[in-house]
Amino acid sequence: MRRALIGAGLLAMWAGASALAQDPGARRVAGEGKQIYQRANCVGCHKWHGDGGGGYGGDALSLRKSELTRDQIIEVLRCGRPGTGMPYHLRGAYDGDECYGLTREAVGKDMPIEGKTFLRPSEIEAVTDYVIASLQHRGEPSYTDCEAFFGAGARTCNVYKTAAATPSGGTE
Amino acid sequence: MSAFMPSLRKVMLGCTVLAGLSASPVLAADVTPERLLNASQEPANWLTHHGSYSAQRFSTLSQINRDTVKGLKVAFTMALGGIEPGGIWSHGGLEGTPIAMDGFLYVTDGWGSVYKIDVAHGALAWKMDPKTDRDWAGAVACCGVNNRGVALWGNMVVSHTLDGRLIATNRDTGEIAWQRAVADPDKGETVTGAPLVVKNLAITGVGGGEYGIRGWLAATDLTTQKEVWRTYTIPTKGEPGSESWSGNAGAAANGGGPTWVTGSYDPATNMLVWGTGNPGPDWDSAHRPGDNLYTDSALGLDLETGKIKWHFQHTPNDPYDYDSTSENVLVDAQVNGRPTRLALHANRNGFGYAVDRTSGEFIWGTPFVKKVTWTAGLNAETGKPAEYDPALPVQKYNAAVTPSRTNRVSDICPGNMGGKNWQPTAYNPGLQRWYIPVIESCNRITVEETKPGSWKAREFFTGGGPSQHERITGSITAVDVTTGKVTGKAETQFPQLGGLLATPDLVFASQPSGEVTAYDAKSLDKLWEFKTGGGVSAPPMTFSVDGKQYVAILVGLGGAWDKWFIESTPELKKVQTGSTLYVFAL
Ligand code: HEC
Repeated sequence: MRRALIGAGLLAMWAGASALAQDPGARRVAGEGKQIYQRANCVGCHKWHGDGGGGYGGDALSLRKSELTRDQIIEVLRCGRPGTGMPYHLRGAYDGDECYGLTREAVGKDMPIEGKTFLRPSEIEAVTDYVIASLQHRGEPSYTDCEAFFGAGARTCNVYKTAAATPSGGTE
Repeated sequence: MSAFMPSLRKVMLGCTVLAGLSASPVLAADVTPERLLNASQEPANWLTHHGSYSAQRFSTLSQINRDTVKGLKVAFTMALGGIEPGGIWSHGGLEGTPIAMDGFLYVTDGWGSVYKIDVAHGALAWKMDPKTDRDWAGAVACCGVNNRGVALWGNMVVSHTLDGRLIATNRDTGEIAWQRAVADPDKGETVTGAPLVVKNLAITGVGGGEYGIRGWLAATDLTTQKEVWRTYTIPTKGEPGSESWSGNAGAAANGGGPTWVTGSYDPATNMLVWGTGNPGPDWDSAHRPGDNLYTDSALGLDLETGKIKWHFQHTPNDPYDYDSTSENVLVDAQVNGRPTRLALHANRNGFGYAVDRTSGEFIWGTPFVKKVTWTAGLNAETGKPAEYDPALPVQKYNAAVTPSRTNRVSDICPGNMGGKNWQPTAYNPGLQRWYIPVIESCNRITVEETKPGSWKAREFFTGGGPSQHERITGSITAVDVTTGKVTGKAETQFPQLGGLLATPDLVFASQPSGEVTAYDAKSLDKLWEFKTGGGVSAPPMTFSVDGKQYVAILVGLGGAWDKWFIESTPELKKVQTGSTLYVFAL
């Protein structure tokens, strides 16, 4: 039942994604997706540019280099990834068998952590489309990408404008 | 070297902003260098970050004592701000120590706003909002939206911001008098510590050990608003210590060695004593063969010139992220019958150290945590880890558990948070007991090999990362400084994330789950506790107004814990974001 419902939503979104560039309604979805990317704290682990990286958080994979399909991304967002730091965002995930056919009990100590906020199916689709449109396969983060995220002239983006090519302090 | 320095200097000086500062007449209530020097002789006030230049965090006030503490109650609370998100952080938190003078408290929130509070009326006198660039700074803050407090000088309140500024605010009006950029988040530099003001100098330490900065300490002359020295913790090629960076990866340029915890000052030698942080990349020690001076060290520096006079390195070629950034406590004591001028330091690596603060000579070392696995112990002569071999380019220590390119996943004890982190210790001179807020921990380290040239501005540069495979708890551990022996341990359910205060009879502490607690200074029995209902990650302090003693503490869980380490303390997931000052009195 639930799977069928999500399937229907998927179809609708496929159509939307291809029309993204022209359709103002689709652009609104992209804006919503970016908002969710911040609100659900994807930005906290994958960073604004989606490249993730090491550090104290362990390894959030690069969304820019991800080879996942749209359905696969949706599944990862809904269910997280057992045994890794990727949280689940679907209310009631693992209560039944909607996530990889596994219950909470079956996942045991590999149970993914719970996301900062739960996301409704439409929100999961919106943030997925944001990931696909603005991050996936976009190469190295650029100044333009950075300004698109933070707004024109944000200081956060300085390093992409100037120092991006300067490898280090240049002491030696 | 030459290409680097001039451009840095331009950044620093170019950003100086001038505003009306009348550069002198000393008013009655002005904070003079003499008052700061003798801060412990004004127990009604808490004039400097650690209570005094010795960093003992001890107060002689004793109205609240072993017998009366049961009656300690909330005098007032005040809601503060600073919980906004920014960069990779979903909220700010509180880690500051309030400063008290003549009936007013001066506190900061994580984004660097300063609040002046009238204690008698429980009222806010003013708030200075420095309008920190949250995304710029928050994206390169490894460990939270933090600001640990202010310093007083003349009629100014001197403070830092996460985005690297030093700000002087008029104490009466709350107006910013002037500010200058000291650190540069474009390089991954941030500032979280309180300034240390000595004579006319404000000393600024820098954070960024996880972002491949080259650490430094900088002194700003508050009368001219100009920088008078900047000492890099990683020497330039040719300087003493530079030979401790070998290999051909050019690792020294991004070698870390931050200085983000406020240090101490010894007037007898006119030396600052300051701790430095981990070398970078944190866990890939093979990228940076050599001892990596002066990372993971206690430094004695000449106040006027910033010249390094001595150093003691705790964990050479550190593969664990065992910073030595936390404070050095200056104590005079008889050790083995000999009068000694000690600097005490509790390291992330699980050992407490006493060195001679005039020379850096090792006096004693003792494990203060329940479990240490990375070394068999310290060499009794040198204080170096028993397995340390100066001939080895890459240290192995206890190789079975040490993270390395061949040991890619390993469990270490203490975990990388420590041991003991920035949370300050406290010292009771009457009992000669030194109290350590302990994180009793192990965690799991995964190593990733760093490719030469892979450093990127504003990206993590850690050579791997930690994860939490088991529960982490805490304790307050007491050490007799005359022997270096542990004399007691009060265990706590959660790690000590707030730091301590000592009074003649008592030790005040907190829990990240919200409790503020008083322990008996001798027995470490719990004598009093209050549940704030928030989360505490800031140190308590004490002061008095019109003869009435108060204890104040900031409540609002901040720092690194709830983002990176929460899985080891699952109950803390439910602690809510908050931002409140609590003030207690009898
Ligand atoms: C607490 C940190 C954290 C948060 C928050 C987080 N992620 Fe992740 N994410 C990870 C980690 C870690 C992985 C890698 C899992 C693995 O090793 O397979 C990951 C993996 C992914 C993947 C799979 C990539 C691939 O190619 O396999 C996607 C897609 C993803 N995250 C998207 C998101 C989005 C969108 C959000 C916000 C709704 C988000 N993540 C929030 C940590 C996080």
